[in-house]
Amino acid sequence: MDRRRFFGLTATSALAYGVLGPSPASAQGAASQAVEAAKQYTGATLNVLYEAGLQPLDPKNFTGPMWEDLTGIKINVIESPVDQMFTKTMQAHMANSGAYDVLNVIPNQLPDLALAGALEPLDDFVDKYGYAEELDAIAPVYRDNQMKVEGTIYGLPDDGDVLIMYYRRDLFEDPENNAAFMDRHGYKLAPPTTWEQFSQIGQFFTDKYAPDIYGAGMLRAPGNAQYLFQERFRVEGGKFFDEETMRATVNSQVGLDIFNAMIAENDFMPPGVEQWGFIEAFNAFLAGDIAMTISWPPVGRWAAGYGKGTEALNWIPETTVADTIGYALPPGGRPELAVGFSLAVASGSQNKEAAYLFAQWMNSEEISLQRVQLPYALRDPFRTSHFESEEYRNRWPTAGEYLDTLKAGAETGLIDLSLIQTDRYEEGIRQALSRLWGGDDPQTILDDLAGQWDALTDRIGVEKQKRVYLDWASKPNAYPT
Amino acid sequence: MQSKSSALADNATVLRYALVAPAVFVILMIGLYPFIKLAATSVQDITMFGADRSFQGFKHYARLMEDDRLWEAIWHTTLFTVIALPIELVLGYLLALLFLHPLPFRRTLIAIILLPTVISPIVAGATWRLMLDQRFGPINQILGWIVGREVEILWTINPNFVWPAVLAAEVWQWTPFMFLILLAALSNVDSEQLEAAEIDGAGPWTVFRKIVLPAILPVVVIAVLIRGLDLVRVFDVIWTMTQGGPGTQTETISIYAYQMAFREFEISYSSAIAFFVILILTVLVIAALRRVEIAR
Amino acid sequence: MTSWSTGWRLVLRLCLAVVVAVVFFFPICWLAAISLKSPEEIFAYPPVWIPETPNFSSYLTLFRDGDAWAVWNSLVTAGVSTVLAMVFGTLAAYAIVRYRTGGDHLAIWIISQRMIPPICVAFPIFLLYVSLGLIDTYVGLIVLYTAFNLPYVIWMMRGYIQDIPVDLEQSAMVDGLSRLAVIRKVVLPMVQGGFFATAVFTFIFAWNDFLFALILTRSEVVTYPVQVTGYFGSQSTFWSKIGAMSMLGVLPMMIVVGTMQRFIVRGMSMGAVKG
Repeated sequence: MDRRRFFGLTATSALAYGVLGPSPASAQGAASQAVEAAKQYTGATLNVLYEAGLQPLDPKNFTGPMWEDLTGIKINVIESPVDQMFTKTMQAHMANSGAYDVLNVIPNQLPDLALAGALEPLDDFVDKYGYAEELDAIAPVYRDNQMKVEGTIYGLPDDGDVLIMYYRRDLFEDPENNAAFMDRHGYKLAPPTTWEQFSQIGQFFTDKYAPDIYGAGMLRAPGNAQYLFQERFRVEGGKFFDEETMRATVNSQVGLDIFNAMIAENDFMPPGVEQWGFIEAFNAFLAGDIAMTISWPPVGRWAAGYGKGTEALNWIPETTVADTIGYALPPGGRPELAVGFSLAVASGSQNKEAAYLFAQWMNSEEISLQRVQLPYALRDPFRTSHFESEEYRNRWPTAGEYLDTLKAGAETGLIDLSLIQTDRYEEGIRQALSRLWGGDDPQTILDDLAGQWDALTDRIGVEKQKRVYLDWASKPNAYPT
Repeated sequence: MQSKSSALADNATVLRYALVAPAVFVILMIGLYPFIKLAATSVQDITMFGADRSFQGFKHYARLMEDDRLWEAIWHTTLFTVIALPIELVLGYLLALLFLHPLPFRRTLIAIILLPTVISPIVAGATWRLMLDQRFGPINQILGWIVGREVEILWTINPNFVWPAVLAAEVWQWTPFMFLILLAALSNVDSEQLEAAEIDGAGPWTVFRKIVLPAILPVVVIAVLIRGLDLVRVFDVIWTMTQGGPGTQTETISIYAYQMAFREFEISYSSAIAFFVILILTVLVIAALRRVEIAR
Repeated sequence: MTSWSTGWRLVLRLCLAVVVAVVFFFPICWLAAISLKSPEEIFAYPPVWIPETPNFSSYLTLFRDGDAWAVWNSLVTAGVSTVLAMVFGTLAAYAIVRYRTGGDHLAIWIISQRMIPPICVAFPIFLLYVSLGLIDTYVGLIVLYTAFNLPYVIWMMRGYIQDIPVDLEQSAMVDGLSRLAVIRKVVLPMVQGGFFATAVFTFIFAWNDFLFALILTRSEVVTYPVQVTGYFGSQSTFWSKIGAMSMLGVLPMMIVVGTMQRFIVRGMSMGAVKG
């Protein structure tokens, strides 16, 4: 497919927007080191696996052409829907086809892919090309949690995903609302810090404004809601497994309480919220239909109007809340660092060195700062320097608050559960949630889930899984301390 | 017919094999290798984390006997097939009757009705997901007009509605196929015979049973067989609409096998499932075919 | 008989037929409308049925970005495999009918190949294709679609060929035609309707395959159903692109049905040769 013409077009429009264009390379940065070292591979082509949609616009329109100019190495982007990426990676590995050089890996799938031998250990490369220092400057939560498997580096954390709260400042600051809320609940109307407050505030707005505005609306489709469940379960003190026996303890009282609370909350959310994913919640928030939502960082940028007029974002409805959007941590203050991406090198690559260098260059201080500011990008700030960038903080009036909230979330966030065959454990949660929305008894669902997990653990091997679980649980942001 | 055919003896010995050779070759190439590979893999131990290619006995087969989720999937698939197939057949037959005789715009109308069959099941699934969306889809809106108040059915989430939702998409897409084949078959029914029967005063049921049914039966059998086999392996429509949910309520054999092979990479176990499914189907279909062949 | 085609019965039948056609057509119209709606209209409540001003930008984007190539890929793989399956399949069906090659066993074995759920053999085929270098190639998909459609073609053509009186062929052979000439000059014209009807469906099956295209392609020969699923993103769902890409896949089918219907209808009246 000839997409070259398209590159030119969007690159120009993006330039006009004033975001792109390489800034002068710092003399000793990891980016320029990577470029220098990569020049010996001029003429090579790297196959890069990316999530289909907006994500690949970065390597296709921005970093890819730039890298080719600098090094003469061509970047060939291969797109895949996000739920197919693991499949494609494993398929290529099992067939030993060397189809991909650079991979995007969802961090909680790192153990599976690393244990399967699909990923190249990166420690030696990091030392050889002087990347240790800049790698260390990645926000600690991503650096410490989304990079290593049992002490070995397999991925460069490259995406600061975190589920934070967005709310309608105008509704929260309205004096009439404040007075009425104080009357009813006896405390000040403000973004909720507990789930109980969340329910009270949500109900309050729904009572007053529905059906025009509902108190909240958010990720409820099982594939997304599972992250919110994982977060709340741990915030409320739940543990996924018994550390001694590795038996699942997800069906504890905590789990039951959360299931019941989630069902109850749906009452003050818009009808049909059970099937809301990212896009539905996002649209409802843009349209001003909901007072609060919890979602991934792009919501906060796009709803504020950042990137408006960009060709790649023309599918987004007009935002009506650009001037009134507020940012906060979700109730409990420990947001889920849901999904995310790490850059990895495929063990089957014929060109590992060049692949690593491209990843290092993309991930470096200098280049990553530009990437996270691409208006259409889905890469969210993940370096301390991103949060503090003056350039970024002036992108729109509340950009500073946005970045501060993301930074706070990055400090306290909780990482996704990550085990051997993580996907099957997550599938269990997904199925449990879809049964919950379907009206099954919460305790039965949770008991079934625990049974399902135990059977899985038994088959994988209790000791084997326990080792991986304890490795995960020992990470600083696995459980709240 | 056999005796007549043999009367046509020419360079028969060469041709009788030469003519089938290309087809058999292609089918074998794609059909035989996977079959052998499946059989071999299913008694080894290959997972995402490693490949032990030594003989492991039949432990994966033992496991599938105890795999409730597999049996549920088989049950769902069976249910799906035995519900959808008769609906499609009956609707297809009624439609064929409607269009059997001259009608203004007949060809245009038939072309329109055929459209669902020619679009991809992936597209059909996406379309119905849009149609059945609780909020942005027209189905709940239309139902709302009929009952006179807002309808808020969560078609793909509520366990009571998810099967009707999936069936609606399936029946919508494949009834036209039945319709087309039955229309062709009905057009072939001898009209003189029908008129003669009418003159003799035979009731519609008798006419159907004595004249129409025998005439269209061979075609119906083939149509049912083809659709039946398609239904047994249904994947795309359900995948786009529910991914097998809520829970595993709409998980079919194909969806479960896909999950095992391409998400969990339990290669040996999924091979055992595949081999087992192929075995069951082979026995069933060959039994069915033999009956049909004899009945002819 | 004629009473069905006159008077109020005709009007009633016509009304009913139109209603049925509307029911079957409506979802496709909805899809087409989605592809032309503005982002606000897609997420409007209550739903907007007809976009105020048709918005063709999704189609333009598909062509400009090269996504529309997926339709071409579908066309090549489905088209070539249909031709191959029809040629091989018709010859085989003829042999099975006239020579009773392999007896019932061959016929039953062939149809039994169609009942294998694709997912069951997908992984071994994937491995086979990797070793043959056929992943992400036209040849790979074409061979596969040919193989998977052959049983259907053979069974359908077998039915049609059985209905041809053998006397016709005999007299042609007495006139000095070879067997292959008989197939071309006597058999093919007589089964023409059925032949094209079968070809149309063979094309459709290949055109609409998702699973194999998903597993066996990466970027070069991605077909349109796979392309459609690429628009379901984790943090973006391009409904208008899904609608537009789907319509690009549906439109050629509309043309096929529109132009080939002549043959399909002729296929329906094939019983004439029986008399």
